[in-house]
Amino acid sequence: MVELILLSRLQFAITVAFHFLFVPLTLGLALLVAGMETMYYRNKDETWRRMADFWGRIFKINFAIGLVTGFAMTFQFGTNWGSYAEFMGDVFGPPLAVEALLAFFLEGTFFGAWIFLDRKRQKLKAFSMWMVALGTNISSLWIITANGFMQNPVGYEMAADGSKVIMTDFFALLANSYVWYMLVHTLLAAYLLTAFLIMGICAYHFLKRNKNEVFRKSFSIAVVIALATSVILPVLGHSYAQYVVELQPAKGAAMDAIWETGSSVPMYLIQVPDSSTGSNSVQLLGIPGLASFLYTGSFSGMIKGLNQLPQDELPPVEMVFWSFRLMTMLGSLFIIEALLGVYLQKSGKLYTSDKYLKLLMLSIPLPYIAITAGWIVAEVGRQPWIVYGLLKTSNGISSVSISDVLLSIGLICTTYLVLIVFELYLIKKTVVNATGAE
Amino acid sequence: MFDFLTHDMLAVIWFFLWCVIWGIYFMVDSFSLGAGLLVPFIARNKAQRMQIQEAVGPFWGGNEVWLILAAGGTFAAFPLVFSKMFTFLYLPMMLLLFGLIARGISVEYLHKDDNPQIQKALMWSWFAGSLLTSLVLGVAFANFFKGLEIVSGRVYEGTVLGLFSPYALLGGVLFVLMNISSGALWINVKTEGAVAAKAGNLAKKSTFIVLLLALVYLAYSFVGIEGFTSNYSATPALYLLPAIAVVGAVLAVFFAKKDRWFPAFCSNLIAFLFVVQSGLASIYPYMLKSSVSPEYGIDIFEAASSHMTLSVMLGGALVFVPIVIIYQLWAYTLFKEKIKEGEQVDY
Ligand code: HDD
Ligand code: HEM
Ligand code: HEM
Repeated sequence: MVELILLSRLQFAITVAFHFLFVPLTLGLALLVAGMETMYYRNKDETWRRMADFWGRIFKINFAIGLVTGFAMTFQFGTNWGSYAEFMGDVFGPPLAVEALLAFFLEGTFFGAWIFLDRKRQKLKAFSMWMVALGTNISSLWIITANGFMQNPVGYEMAADGSKVIMTDFFALLANSYVWYMLVHTLLAAYLLTAFLIMGICAYHFLKRNKNEVFRKSFSIAVVIALATSVILPVLGHSYAQYVVELQPAKGAAMDAIWETGSSVPMYLIQVPDSSTGSNSVQLLGIPGLASFLYTGSFSGMIKGLNQLPQDELPPVEMVFWSFRLMTMLGSLFIIEALLGVYLQKSGKLYTSDKYLKLLMLSIPLPYIAITAGWIVAEVGRQPWIVYGLLKTSNGISSVSISDVLLSIGLICTTYLVLIVFELYLIKKTVVNATGAE
Repeated sequence: MFDFLTHDMLAVIWFFLWCVIWGIYFMVDSFSLGAGLLVPFIARNKAQRMQIQEAVGPFWGGNEVWLILAAGGTFAAFPLVFSKMFTFLYLPMMLLLFGLIARGISVEYLHKDDNPQIQKALMWSWFAGSLLTSLVLGVAFANFFKGLEIVSGRVYEGTVLGLFSPYALLGGVLFVLMNISSGALWINVKTEGAVAAKAGNLAKKSTFIVLLLALVYLAYSFVGIEGFTSNYSATPALYLLPAIAVVGAVLAVFFAKKDRWFPAFCSNLIAFLFVVQSGLASIYPYMLKSSVSPEYGIDIFEAASSHMTLSVMLGGALVFVPIVIIYQLWAYTLFKEKIKEGEQVDY
């Protein structure tokens, strides 16, 4: 039984993390490409057309994988999380079905139209891309509505026999503050990732001394988005964190590995938590009261420690802690990089700052890492609950045979490996072959 | 919302909608799956492959969403069925998933790289993905009509091999051929030149085979499948469903003979739709019929979600399904011209 749970969790984590490698770029690029198509329609400037073509091609390559891996997500809830599906169907089903009705149909239908419409019908082509952008961005609202319920159940009552939740108020599901914190944070992170990817690709061409208008213009758009999102993310992330701490004290305490309840809790810049002893094995450079301030808004605020919380309801502390650190550290790095970018561009030194350009290229994977880390905080931090306070993860799985799950994990890993290698190859080729002049 | 409807009435309405959504999915995906099944055999070169790709390229993605809606709708309206259907048929569902992945990626990536070897490989994986998807769906639905080995306490005792009874295999082959006819007729409607001619010849034969298979399949269902006829005896009007299916299949043969491709295409879709509905009508009120004993099956009333969920979803479906259908039909009108060899957009 234990192995089955572990395997099911592993499979879910792999498939959802993989799906979410492609989703953020879709969310961001759809909007940008739509904007480019519209600009081209408005002023018939060939640069906009070339930008739309180049980024549009990358969009197509990326979108295809987001689409097929989305199927794996839908299937999993039935195949591997059957008990969860029965427990949650009343609440989870509607957002998922509405997502298909409102978002996926828009995306799927207009994605095809956008690709095959030629430039003679530019107005329709631009319109189609806006519909794709609308569809993808709406789709995140619905799936996050479902996840928001898992983090903070609202608008429901338990069935008399306790076997499932029953929805009592659909709009309460949508009005859940968790949903809006999460949605805004996730969308901002997606736009940030898109901006850094664009900057990284442009940097590659600048390094090759290709200063084509297509890349210069793309860069100047991306750097503004990068600066805006990288500054807003931590500001909002901070209030998001406070909100989470209130709702899920164990996750909150794990994010900064706070073991003992207290007020004026310091934050250690260097810290290594150890859950076997229930304390930090290393803690250096403490800033007095900072953790209290970050979590409660007051330097003398009181925080519940892990050791004082119910011990059988703690998440894996180290994993949550390190993921949270990674996300926030990367978040700080992004601000610096974005500021530098704006400065170098304004001062005209950008195209010769080879070190910075190389840094940008190397930074392309970092937002991906930050995003995955963020989800680990959110999802692993919620453990041992699959639906917070209502259903334990261990009670959510299907009764299927271990060999079946092993087989499916093997197949999924092999397929996904092929997919990602192929996609990286195609993207790399697209980027390397582009001159900006086609 | 919908307070004047009882919970049971909502459950019945949702069962009806569920049948409709599956029906739409089978129809709209049939020609893209069919194109995948045909492409290795009727496209001689890259230009012809691109013709076929472009015939389905603008549509397949939007059409596949009907499958997500069918799955999501099952999740929302009948969570218990969603859970059990996917759990009982774990490996077949995984096969379906990989079929869909292979098909989707191949259509999208077919000519993204210039290497002819890669293009060949992708063409075959488009074929394999389409074959797997059609077969698994055909076998799965035949098993739903026949009943799964569900014993008391909603425990499933079937095996993967046990799913491949002659009846189920017949269902699988019928689905594959329905898709082939649909794809061949569609290619003929959408394209011009050598590809269209070949597809037309093929359609003439395949519609005929579909007619024979459909007759055998329906006869087998009524004679050889336990419990299949009980709803029909209670409500003889239901016999219209298989009757329309047969008429559709006959008309498809007839129109194909006369080279009237679009009417033939529509007739074939109607045949497909009504073959599926004939089966679904037989299992009501069960969604997962038990072949062991009827009372072990899972019926719509015990599987249905709450009144609230069913009515919110019904409201959503009544508003948005028509809107979706309208803009999807509109999208077809955007691409009316016949696709000529060698005039393709970069895809
Ligand atoms: C580019 C990516 C990125 C960056 C730079 C940040 N985040 Fe983040 N974070 C995410 C991407 C992300 C995410 C992947 O999108 C998550 C997962 C769930 C969610 O809502 O967003 C997330 C989750 C997440 C959570 C967990 C919420 C939960 O348990 O539901 C908190 C508390 C924060 N973030 C806070 C922050 C803070 C204080 C940041 C300051 C630097 C920060 N994030 C930067
Ligand atoms: C908003 C949509 C999402 C929903 C509804 C959702 C739902 C779930 C469910 C049902 C599980 C399995 C049960 C469990 O192990 O707790 C899970 C676990 C997990 N999810 Fe999410 N998830 C979502 C988004 C994501 C994303 C986008 C990522 C990553 C990029 C992610 C990362 C994980 C990880 C790593 C686990 C494993 C946690 C563990 O087993 O300890 N989730 N999620
Ligand atoms: C764990 C639950 C999830 C499920 C069941 C799921 C399901 C799906 C499905 C079926 C598709 C294909 C849609 C199509 O045919 O167009 C898809 C694509 C997509 N999903 Fe997910 N998804 C999940 C997690 C997420 C999360 C957490 C987000 C965003 C915050 C998200 C956003 C998207 C977007 C934007 C697309 C379309 C873009 C693309 O193809 O890249 N999904 N998803």
